[in-house]
Amino acid sequence: MFTLYKTYQPYASPFDPCKPIKVKTYSTPPNLYIGFQPPNFPQFTPMEALRAGTLWKPFYDPYYNPYEKASKGGYPS
Amino acid sequence: MKQLPAEFYQLMEQLQAVDFVLVELTLYLDTHNGDAEAIKQYNHYAKERKKLVKAVESIYGPLMPFGHSYAGQPWNWDDSPWPWQV
Repeated sequence: MFTLYKTYQPYASPFDPCKPIKVKTYSTPPNLYIGFQPPNFPQFTPMEALRAGTLWKPFYDPYYNPYEKASKGGYPS
Repeated sequence: MKQLPAEFYQLMEQLQAVDFVLVELTLYLDTHNGDAEAIKQYNHYAKERKKLVKAVESIYGPLMPFGHSYAGQPWNWDDSPWPWQV
């Protein structure tokens, strides 16, 4: 499934002094996949664009910390 | 100091939204000079902004000095509330 955040499992040595971090996440923003923006991209309404931080729907890439991940995730209200 | 009426805040929010759309369209058009559709939209919002600014300034007073807004009597562009105080 297309996601804007990818994860990987770093190697955890048995001799690590600290608790190993099993999964690490990194961001892959939309511009990596879109490249040069084609014309007539879908747009937000001005009010939504003001809250979303961008006028173009495909470039909408909000960050939610893991704790608020579940509650918010949709388009700007 | 004067309290601003409620409709000022709605108009100001619309002005901010239109301004943001104009910023986005400007940046887009910088790299897409030939996109007639976006240019039409840009001009539409530019006209829209002129109307909004007139409405906002009729309530709030001049938004910008240096000739970008008409000044009131007495000189009032530096009166409070400033934009960040509104």
